[in-house]
Amino acid sequence: MGGRPLIEVKNLTKRYGQHVAVDHVDFTVNKGEIVGFLGPNGAGKSTTMNIITGYISATEGTVKVDGLDILEQPQETKKKIGYLPELPPLYMDMTVEEYLRFVCQIKKVERNNEKETLYKVMELVKIKDMRKRLIKNLSKGYKQRVGLAQALIGKPEVLILDEPTVGLDPKQIIEIRNLIKGLGNDHTIILSSHILSEVSAVCDRVIIIDKGKIVASDTPDNLSRRMSQSNRFMLRIQGPKQEVLDTIRSIEGVKFAEAQRVREQGTCDFLVESHDEVDIREELFYAMSEKKYPILQMKSMDLTLEDIFLKVTSQQKGGATYVSDLQ
Amino acid sequence: MLAIFNREFRSYFTSATGYIFMSFFLIMSGIYFAIINLISGNPNYNLVLSSITMILLIGVPIITMRLLSEEKKQKTDQLVLTAPLRLSGLVLGKYFAALALFGLTLLITGIQPIIITLFGTLPVGEVLGGYMGYFLLGACFIAIGLFISSLTDNQVVAALTTFATLLLLLLMDGIKQALPIDRTSSIVFVGILVVGLSALIYFSIRNIYVSAGIAMVGFIAMGIVYGWDKTIYDGIMVRFFDWFSLLRRYESFAMGIFDLSAVVYYITFAAAFLFLTIQMIEKRRWS
Repeated sequence: MGGRPLIEVKNLTKRYGQHVAVDHVDFTVNKGEIVGFLGPNGAGKSTTMNIITGYISATEGTVKVDGLDILEQPQETKKKIGYLPELPPLYMDMTVEEYLRFVCQIKKVERNNEKETLYKVMELVKIKDMRKRLIKNLSKGYKQRVGLAQALIGKPEVLILDEPTVGLDPKQIIEIRNLIKGLGNDHTIILSSHILSEVSAVCDRVIIIDKGKIVASDTPDNLSRRMSQSNRFMLRIQGPKQEVLDTIRSIEGVKFAEAQRVREQGTCDFLVESHDEVDIREELFYAMSEKKYPILQMKSMDLTLEDIFLKVTSQQKGGATYVSDLQ
Repeated sequence: MLAIFNREFRSYFTSATGYIFMSFFLIMSGIYFAIINLISGNPNYNLVLSSITMILLIGVPIITMRLLSEEKKQKTDQLVLTAPLRLSGLVLGKYFAALALFGLTLLITGIQPIIITLFGTLPVGEVLGGYMGYFLLGACFIAIGLFISSLTDNQVVAALTTFATLLLLLLMDGIKQALPIDRTSSIVFVGILVVGLSALIYFSIRNIYVSAGIAMVGFIAMGIVYGWDKTIYDGIMVRFFDWFSLLRRYESFAMGIFDLSAVVYYITFAAAFLFLTIQMIEKRRWS
């Protein structure tokens, strides 16, 4: 990841009256990197992207793409950026081909290259069969692809994709993800999502945003390693419900235990939560084997994004800020 | 700009808008033509043109309401505003598309005076002048409609506001005559204008000192002018509203007089509204 910085965001702030949508955000993205913005709805992801692409202006701070300031040289800077907003900006009364041709024209693709560009892009996002169809008749997945095709026109170095897989079916999600990964070879990409697994599947680096502020920035591996130290388990144990529950509760470090429904004859499922920084799994095993209650299943519960936020933000309150910049 | 123009002009005909406008305009002008020229045997076609200024009241909102409001509503402005495209190109492309539709429709009504030449003598120069005036009047109205379309993301609101504004402009001559021309009310009026201007500036830049400063400068200037020549204030209200009297300038065209100052007036008027439209889009990005 030793590329030069291509996108430099400094001290970016956007205020809407009293409301601060983006609050002094700083980050850089190197050439060739795929960076994921992760955050709940209203965290400021789209606002940040809208500022980078020049759709709206920042209240404070600067954005530089390849050294160019979007306010000083809007035309040159915008040529370097392809943008897929949250809602693909499509004209419903045009066919796919007409629409993409229009995009070629406003992005100043040379007339001679127009046909070639068009076909290359349509091939890439696999919409060639749909090119004569009216956009309003396309399914959500195809509309998203046309939106992506639009962003790719004009050979931009930087791609900004706002929730590119939202509203697609699982198969389409995988296809779009693979497509984005492929694009990462010769593009620098910022994409946003509120799904952790998506970001970790595609991105080199994750920036977590909450309430307009960057709360964490790390590789997905590091992030999920930190986050996998979950202290909630799902257990399936063979044995009498009440006794098993009592045994679990007797183990030191258990904060909370509760019997859940019976899914398998003669067993019961339990939800167990331990105190932070305590690993109770080993003890649990010995305690159960002593009583001859076999553990049939043990799995840690997946952390939701909300849990991650709680973790990250509570750590910040504890004094240890977790923003490790990797460059 | 050409790409925007092409898209916009085409979309008049992929939706019903273009057809509705053209058929409405042509039917109405046809009715007037039949009544004024054909039935009464009068070769003066300019009478028809003057009578159908009212059609613009409904016709112009139809073709301008969608232009910018729809982009905002469908979020397609995220495409055009992040493309390497000048804002002026965007606005002009849309303006000329609407203007071209209007011009094309007007060209079709040209059949009517041609029919007159078949059965009588047509004052060709006068009719050409009348057409020119009518086209310029429409060009101004379309610029106003485009500007109003940039203020909202709701087509209906844009259409109704445009309609009300154009109605007010057409009635301006009548309103003008009822205005007081004495000195006191004129001074009060100018005072209100100064306050209004500084309020407008306050709301767009939110700086109380700058807007208060402008109000101060305005009042001082008013005082100086009063000391220098009091008579300037007489009838200033009428003169002010006369700036917005688009129809009065049209009358000379209708009488077959080619009035260069009126041409310049119309072009300036339209250009001013196009400029305001660009400023409005620019301002939205900052707020």
